[in-house]
Amino acid sequence: MTGSYLVRLLCLSMASFFLVHLALGAALSLLAPAAIRLSERFRPQRAVRLLLLLRLTPTGLSLLMVAGLLAPSYLWLEPRATTETVGWVCLAAAALGVAVWSLSITRALRAAGRSLRHIRRCQRTGRQTYLRGETAPVWLMEDPAPLVMLAGVLRSRLVISRKVVSALSAEQLAAVLRHERAHSRSRDNLKRLLVLLAPGILPFFRGFSRLEQAWARVTEWAADDFAVAGDSHRSLTLATALVRVARLGAVPSPPALVTSLMPNGVDLSARVDRLLHFVPSTANPGRLARLLPGGAGVLLATSVIALMAQPGTLRAAHECLEALIR
Amino acid sequence: MMRFLKSITVERTPPSQPPLGHLETTVMDLLWARGESNVHDVVQRLHRPLAYTTVMTTLDRLFKKGLLDRRKSARAFLYSPRWSRMEWEQKRAGEFVAGFLAGPQPAGELLISCLVDAVGQQDEALLDELEKKIRLRRRELYQRRKP
Repeated sequence: MTGSYLVRLLCLSMASFFLVHLALGAALSLLAPAAIRLSERFRPQRAVRLLLLLRLTPTGLSLLMVAGLLAPSYLWLEPRATTETVGWVCLAAAALGVAVWSLSITRALRAAGRSLRHIRRCQRTGRQTYLRGETAPVWLMEDPAPLVMLAGVLRSRLVISRKVVSALSAEQLAAVLRHERAHSRSRDNLKRLLVLLAPGILPFFRGFSRLEQAWARVTEWAADDFAVAGDSHRSLTLATALVRVARLGAVPSPPALVTSLMPNGVDLSARVDRLLHFVPSTANPGRLARLLPGGAGVLLATSVIALMAQPGTLRAAHECLEALIR
Repeated sequence: MMRFLKSITVERTPPSQPPLGHLETTVMDLLWARGESNVHDVVQRLHRPLAYTTVMTTLDRLFKKGLLDRRKSARAFLYSPRWSRMEWEQKRAGEFVAGFLAGPQPAGELLISCLVDAVGQQDEALLDELEKKIRLRRRELYQRRKP
């Protein structure tokens, strides 16, 4: 296997990734408003899964297509001694593919770096302690801003300022801690990292901002629902705590991989209204409804894999690559 | 023809203006609400009795200031706003802020500080409103639980 053969494979893989991702991303951008409307009919826990799945679908499917179909078809059907040259269109698409990946990886690395620096600052200036009702340690900060944050991607730590602890009653503090525990349980910071890693449609146009905003909003709602656990009294307690923390002053914008109790871009008023009109419900969603987002993903992936397993598919894919390379 | 040429050559942004007087503002509000009107219509719809000539002069002044368009229908002029209320307010706010920021540094800082205060006050009002809603809801729940 020669070097030029591998370079050509790399070039084709990047170009085909970019083109497939562009088509899927553009389709998703068009469908996003309808998907957001649909997710509003679901419970937040399910809406979160659906929106995240949709956001990651273009990247996942494009990678699957490239790694499972286009690259194997090239390796299987392309003669090793080929002298084919790569055309300008293919080179341009490959360059754009490299650019979207480089930008998303840089963005994710920068966010991870900022998050790490934030944790270090908390460890340096804060004090590790245990709050009543909380089994995990908490970093207590002497910060003038009312901080309630969950920092860390794999091992999350709760950061809270003394100002917030003193301002809230024991019951309100417990509600706030339950809310943050919900983020920790559902590994929201890790999901944020995945979203940052997923490339945008074009190098300087992500194109999924509405979907990402909707996802961030329902993530907060899902954590609120976990914190109140179907109890209207707890729901009022959490609403009171949110307003009280908001009264303590503005919170500096946290790094992208840090979850804040009151993140920017999530309407406090809508969140409090939702908590006030909370309908206590202990009914479990139907089995079918529960499995819908995950099931849709599995079905989609299975269909793609089944398509790849067809004898003619690899040949057809190879023909597409031949057309692309010219 | 001249009007057409003027309309296509003049840039479509509201002209720089000093603030409007009370009657001018009332007349503009009326025209924004009702659309094209003649002097008689405006006189009829004003909440205070004013002489026909006073309103006619005001409309003429607004036309000369570039805020109104007018066309002749029968023997009377019909006046209509040249800019939407949004365009006009946007221009006014932009000029006001730009004027402050172009002044000496303390003036700009003062404006920003006033804006921050205003936003803060609005936030406080929103939080008061939310607290009121929470109190009402708590009372409602409490009453519902009482036998």
